[in-house]
Amino acid sequence: MFQNRAEAFALALPAAIFAAAVFIVPVLILLSDGFRSLDGGWTLAAYGEFFSSPLNQAVFLRTLKLGALVTVVSAVIGYAAAFSIVSLSPAAKGRMTGLVVLPLMISPVARTYAWIVILGRTGIVNQAFQVLGLSEAPLRILFSETAIFIGLLQLFLPLMIISLISALENMPKDAVPAARVLGANWFQVFWKVILPLTKEGLVIGGTLVFTGCLTAYITPAILGGSKVLMLETLMYQQVAVSNNFVAASVIACILIVMSFAANLLLKRVATARNTQRKAAR
Amino acid sequence: MKTLITASAAVLLATTGLAQAQEKTLTISVYALAQDEYKQIVYDPFQAICGCKLVVETGNSVERVAKMEANKANPVIDMAVVSMADALSASRKDLTDTIDTAKLKSFNALYDIAKDPNQDGKSVGYTFYANSIVYRSDKMKIESWADLFKPEYVGHIAFPNITTNGAAPTLYMLGQALGKDTPDLAAPIATIGENKDEIVTFYEKSSQLVQLMKQEEIWAAPAGRFAWAPFTKLGLPMAWATPKEGQAGGMNVMVVTKGSKNRDLALQFMDFWLSTEIQTKLAEKLVDSPANSEVKVSDEIAGNLTFGKATAESLKFIPSAVALDNRAGWIKTWNDKVGQ
Amino acid sequence: MTARSLFVPTTLFLLATFLIGPFLIIVAASFSAGETLSFPPQGFSLQWILKVFTVESFRASFAMSMFLAIGGTAAALVLGIPASYALSRYRLPGAEIIRTIVSAPIIVPGIIVGLSLLRYVVVPFGVGITLALFLAHTALILPYAVRVVSASLDNLRSDIEEAAVLLGSSRLGAFFRVVMPNIKGGILSAFILGFVTSFNQVPVSLFLSGPGVRTLPIDMMAYMEIVFDPSVAALSSLLAFLSIGIVFAAERFLGFSRYV
Repeated sequence: MFQNRAEAFALALPAAIFAAAVFIVPVLILLSDGFRSLDGGWTLAAYGEFFSSPLNQAVFLRTLKLGALVTVVSAVIGYAAAFSIVSLSPAAKGRMTGLVVLPLMISPVARTYAWIVILGRTGIVNQAFQVLGLSEAPLRILFSETAIFIGLLQLFLPLMIISLISALENMPKDAVPAARVLGANWFQVFWKVILPLTKEGLVIGGTLVFTGCLTAYITPAILGGSKVLMLETLMYQQVAVSNNFVAASVIACILIVMSFAANLLLKRVATARNTQRKAAR
Repeated sequence: MKTLITASAAVLLATTGLAQAQEKTLTISVYALAQDEYKQIVYDPFQAICGCKLVVETGNSVERVAKMEANKANPVIDMAVVSMADALSASRKDLTDTIDTAKLKSFNALYDIAKDPNQDGKSVGYTFYANSIVYRSDKMKIESWADLFKPEYVGHIAFPNITTNGAAPTLYMLGQALGKDTPDLAAPIATIGENKDEIVTFYEKSSQLVQLMKQEEIWAAPAGRFAWAPFTKLGLPMAWATPKEGQAGGMNVMVVTKGSKNRDLALQFMDFWLSTEIQTKLAEKLVDSPANSEVKVSDEIAGNLTFGKATAESLKFIPSAVALDNRAGWIKTWNDKVGQ
Repeated sequence: MTARSLFVPTTLFLLATFLIGPFLIIVAASFSAGETLSFPPQGFSLQWILKVFTVESFRASFAMSMFLAIGGTAAALVLGIPASYALSRYRLPGAEIIRTIVSAPIIVPGIIVGLSLLRYVVVPFGVGITLALFLAHTALILPYAVRVVSASLDNLRSDIEEAAVLLGSSRLGAFFRVVMPNIKGGILSAFILGFVTSFNQVPVSLFLSGPGVRTLPIDMMAYMEIVFDPSVAALSSLLAFLSIGIVFAAERFLGFSRYV
């Protein structure tokens, strides 16, 4: 460790000043707009007004609901996937991990665009359903919560799987066999052994997925449109169409609070683990 | 690493270099429709005449006014085309300038309704259009605006979102069909609300409709006549409804941004666009119905447009002031009844 | 036992289908001979791949996106490497605050970053559109740059540069001669991560794009609203292969995944 403070500041401050100037300060001003009254005082009126609209309530709840649902489902699929991948030979594991990471490199516009072809009335899913006799008339899937859910799940599932793979790999190798020898069934093994030991990975993955859903704009815009708004698309509409910057500021604040809450949770779990480890030493 | 930086510097230089090479730049903001045709008929020939560079931004009308307001102190756009009501809204917000019509050679040839649609001297109509319903003639038959909401049809329609130009005229005609045509549009909006789960989507731009129709996601949608041409090229049996309640009128107008540094160039561009020659070419390609009364086209072309004096006079226009004064109320009713 | 041995392949097959399937459909659709985006594709042709190169706005927005991705990432590294070094090697008062400030753009939804920048920097100070996009993309990449470079600095023992300094090298000389060669893999990883993030970014650029200045993904979204032919699919495939190619090359020659 070097001690020279002036040098340290000279190195670190340009980045900090840049981030503050083009990012922190403008965002803080934007957020403060939502708390100003017409005469320049401070007020929560905009928030009351925002939440009094049934449309906004519905959009807020939908955003929470879809975020939570995508997180939970990606955790369930994520465990099955991560467990399978970890059980592979090292070479196969490397290839499979690559395959999971691959979609992250592809433009979300392209990935979302594909769902139009797949989920449309004349799309593959409906063609398959009709061939299999599962439905008589083509189902309407586009422009629905289902479409957004599928799009978001595909977008963020890789983040959950990667977090869980590293968590499963860090788990003591003998924990599962030991529990099996002691007579636990697979459900008990998962609940009593795997889950507690991989909790940290689950929380990291969960936070990434949940914040991802909050910040995704393209998926709700293309697969939901103005019929099924989420907070991100509602915010764009408030600015671009209604020119209502106060409402936009309120939505921004809600999104940031939700995002920070999720990140705080992450930090707390991580710190709790560190203190436990330190205590154990 | 070094090569990457050099490469990015080269790209930067190339972009700024290009910008400097052009002396005069006119920035316009228009609808996204038929940009290929506009480029060929209007933009490229105009650039050749004026020796200037034309920068074109596209988007919908309300978005444009919102952007003009956001950039009020430092206007980015010189000239824009917007809906009649948005032109009044922009003029009330003092975003637009009085148009010196003496500089528009074709001004006197315009249909009377296009000369000064909002009676404030700040806009000139360049095209007007009928609002009706475009539909699959093999799947349905539309004789009234209310037919859209027949149970067997409603799961296959898209409706204009309340924020678009098409919403108010469509709701107004729907109100007439329902026999409840109050300026607050309460009855038609309530009807939409009752059917909101069935309606496929609420569209923002009529250009999206072609795609939805092609995918068979929808069979019918209320639309402006300006959007008609692409549907005829789909290879599907498409028809334009003539509902018994009549067709609503819509008009798009040109405005000049207040504080624009290229006012004369903007007026020169408007004059070019309004001329009989250009308006005829646009009409022949079914891009815009002419506002210039000297335009002559074949009967077949006329049949695909909103053409002629008699048609112009039959359209039911909502006065801009009525639209503006009620708009906030419409949006609120819509959000309460439809939005959730 | 059979149930278990079936579980792994079935899971992996379904997973691969869900994650990669949509991408394969896009690729297949881009070689279609038909006029509309559909699957299974109607015939085989290269017309849509070729059409991508003839759309003028795609060329302009591709150049813009390239400039933002390369320039923005380079700028983020110029700011981020010294900051990472200070955070990792110095006893810096308020280090946590600086770390939070620098990494904040990652937590805040991009649409908010774009709007704030437009309202309170671009409009009041009359910043040009290109510069605004450049600033926004740099801010967006900075957190990744600091995170990845910090990680590789933390993996490098600090006593070697202390030894270099004791042996008479200047601090700066020690950095360039001892530290840089050892973290160049990390820097390149940060560069690739930043490049991909910036290139695929939509929400930040949404409000900042202006007349004639658009990034490629924004241009694609606007284009696909109007034109429903497979050319957007073709462009998507081309871009995907570009990103995948870069990442594979990096992985093959440098072991990219060690740093991310």
